[in-house]
Amino acid sequence: MYNPDINDYQLTSIITECCGGVAVVYSALYKPNNQNVAIKRYFVDKTKENASLIQQDILTRKELNHVNILPYLTSFVHGRELYVVSPLMTFGSCRDILDRYFQEGLPELACAIVLRDTLQALQYLHKQLYIHRSVRASHVLIGANGGVRLSGLRSAASLMVRGRRQRHLHQLPPPDSDNTNLMWLSPELLEQNLKGYDEKSDIYSLGVLCCELGNGAVPFAEVPTTLMFTEKVRGSRPQLLDCSTFPEPCLDDTEMKSEYICCKAVLCPTTLMFTEKVRGSRPQLLDCSTFPEPCLDDTEMKSMYNGDSGVGDSADAVSRLRQVYAGRKLSDTFHHLSEMALQRDPDKRPSATQLLNHPW
Amino acid sequence: MDPRMCRKISSSESLPDADNVEYEVSNIIAPQESDDNFMLDGSPEPHSVTWLDNDQIDELDLNLDQTNLCFHRVDSADIIYRSKKKKCKMVGKYVMGDVLGEGSYGKVKEMLDSETLCRRAVKILKKRKLRRIPNGEQNVQREIQLLRILRHKNVIELVDVMYNDEKQKMYLVMEFCVGVLQDMLEGSPGKKFPQRQAHDYFTQLLDGLEYLHGQGVVHKDIKPGNLLLTLDHTLKITDFGVAEALDMFSPEDTCYTGQGSPAFQPPEIANGAEQFSGVKVDIWSSGVTLYNMTTGRYPFEGDNVYRLLESIGRGEPAPPPPSLGPTLGLLLTNMLKRDPDLRPTVHEIRRHSWVQARPPLEVGERLVTPRSRRSDELHTSTVIPYLVERHYPSAQEYFTERDYRHELGDGGSRTLSTAELSDAESSRRKRRWHSSCGRLPSCRLT
Repeated sequence: MYNPDINDYQLTSIITECCGGVAVVYSALYKPNNQNVAIKRYFVDKTKENASLIQQDILTRKELNHVNILPYLTSFVHGRELYVVSPLMTFGSCRDILDRYFQEGLPELACAIVLRDTLQALQYLHKQLYIHRSVRASHVLIGANGGVRLSGLRSAASLMVRGRRQRHLHQLPPPDSDNTNLMWLSPELLEQNLKGYDEKSDIYSLGVLCCELGNGAVPFAEVPTTLMFTEKVRGSRPQLLDCSTFPEPCLDDTEMKSEYICCKAVLCPTTLMFTEKVRGSRPQLLDCSTFPEPCLDDTEMKSMYNGDSGVGDSADAVSRLRQVYAGRKLSDTFHHLSEMALQRDPDKRPSATQLLNHPW
Repeated sequence: MDPRMCRKISSSESLPDADNVEYEVSNIIAPQESDDNFMLDGSPEPHSVTWLDNDQIDELDLNLDQTNLCFHRVDSADIIYRSKKKKCKMVGKYVMGDVLGEGSYGKVKEMLDSETLCRRAVKILKKRKLRRIPNGEQNVQREIQLLRILRHKNVIELVDVMYNDEKQKMYLVMEFCVGVLQDMLEGSPGKKFPQRQAHDYFTQLLDGLEYLHGQGVVHKDIKPGNLLLTLDHTLKITDFGVAEALDMFSPEDTCYTGQGSPAFQPPEIANGAEQFSGVKVDIWSSGVTLYNMTTGRYPFEGDNVYRLLESIGRGEPAPPPPSLGPTLGLLLTNMLKRDPDLRPTVHEIRRHSWVQARPPLEVGERLVTPRSRRSDELHTSTVIPYLVERHYPSAQEYFTERDYRHELGDGGSRTLSTAELSDAESSRRKRRWHSSCGRLPSCRLT
């Protein structure tokens, strides 16, 4: 049991600032037993609505008990601030790890472990009739012993409303400060129609997390929010990037040039789009194979992909990134898993339990 | 197929499964040789093109049985399909969608918050129109003032207010709702709800009223037309145009003006009383609303407003039909007492046995779902087509079946089905989509 008293804690350093500047996370020492803890300090006065969200977060975490969900230790008010104490997760979030050490994605084995543990957390949450609604790398924390714990329960919603079990929910999760959370949300959740969404929405987010962990970059990161929305609604799926989705330049330069030009003549705008994507927004959302229906010029397009790569690129970092993507091969089962999770129709998506039994 | 994308003018003869296409005019084109033969002949010479818009088609539909109509003969391959333009318009950070409803003050449209992707509804008020309504501008100001303060899950939330001085327009951005109880009633069998459903809405209305009265606000225009439903069937009280905030320090809830809808007005207002209890007006109107939701009728009827007010002012309400059962009947009689003092308060109504127990859904009864203006049962966002237009602008607005055959490399030996034509539309879009992506505004070098 941890005491809700500031004097028992010694703040050692600032880990990060979060929630759009409303909160700061410190690492601290709990003096009575010399344990390291993480303390999140909220400036509650800043907005009223946040207070109820923090309350929600605490209440939800108090109710839950699972090895893969960040536990709640205690909380207290000191001065004008609210302190919430959790165990210290030494390696921070997967997002931090990606940004710092693995910009082109975690190794496949690491992805597998993180995803398995996240799925276990989701399986538990879904059994407790909760929908997490913000499964993303920044909410997946790694402890000193490599333990994976899911956090970010402030946007979790219960399917129990006014004592009645609901089949579907309809409301968007509470907006975060910069609305980035939308990128992980499922099409049916974003659509906000009478059909609503259920726990399968988290599975979609898990699929996006797959791509995030595997590619290092978040799908849809550089496109306008409304375009991301229409893309998802129209069924385009983010993808894991490797040599199968992102073919290596196999032709020599002159051949390539000529092919490029010929492609350009045929379908110039598409090539342009493709290079743009490679350069700017990391290409996952664009691939003819991600389209819902087979499109007429599928074969044409495929040849295009070969022809295009390597032309017109100058930025070193980008070409390096492309080399990495094109040079690696992720296992088919990994691809399969992410594809299953990212299906447009929530009823076709497997449940957390089913995914845990996936061969990968 | 999305009928909005493609308005078509066609003969059912040449397109076998054209029956299920909206805007379709059948049998207008006089019998002609089979399309197949025609195509085999090689390319027919171009015919003149007849344009019909939606209204004209409706008109034609109405006139179908009148004989002497004259038609141009149009080869089916030359029929021009038009992908309907959905010009994407932004107001502030919001993307405009389709019209949800219309009132005397202006329109209500759907919107999408482009930052949070939250669906919203916007009441667009035109100054010019407001001036023509008695107390129009004043009512709007009062509504804004009240809504800014009120916050309850059964009271509509005002999200944002925007002004456009140039266009003399005012935008009240509110929570998005899928339906109005009145529309649902009108579309349901017997114009009423099953008691189970009416009970669900009525208890939420009580929650909202309890909050409003606790805040010293009298709505004064409670009726099914002012009760909205969100996607998750939460009831929202809306339209505070004639609502009134009571004086916080006065012990009584005396009001002096009533401007609500006649059929829902209590006798004291119908008789022109100079002052009356505001809270009890809401109780009466809620009683009429409950009466209406469960029976499909009104306790008072009249051929015109004067007759109606006269019967409210003089007569006794039509007794609730015995089919409602004794408990609900008693509740209604109590709420519709002529003497305001005898009407129960919200708290008393809450303790009534009909309100306490949730009535079961009787055999054969079906829950009424919100109606849609465009046969979309899911009430999908109407903003999406506008966004599509914005992000994947179309290269070619019009195309004919011949164009499409040409594209397919199809010699024209077979008849194309409607489905194929709609596919044509979508594959075109896809191509356009490709061509547009190079110009994505957000793409930048890493």
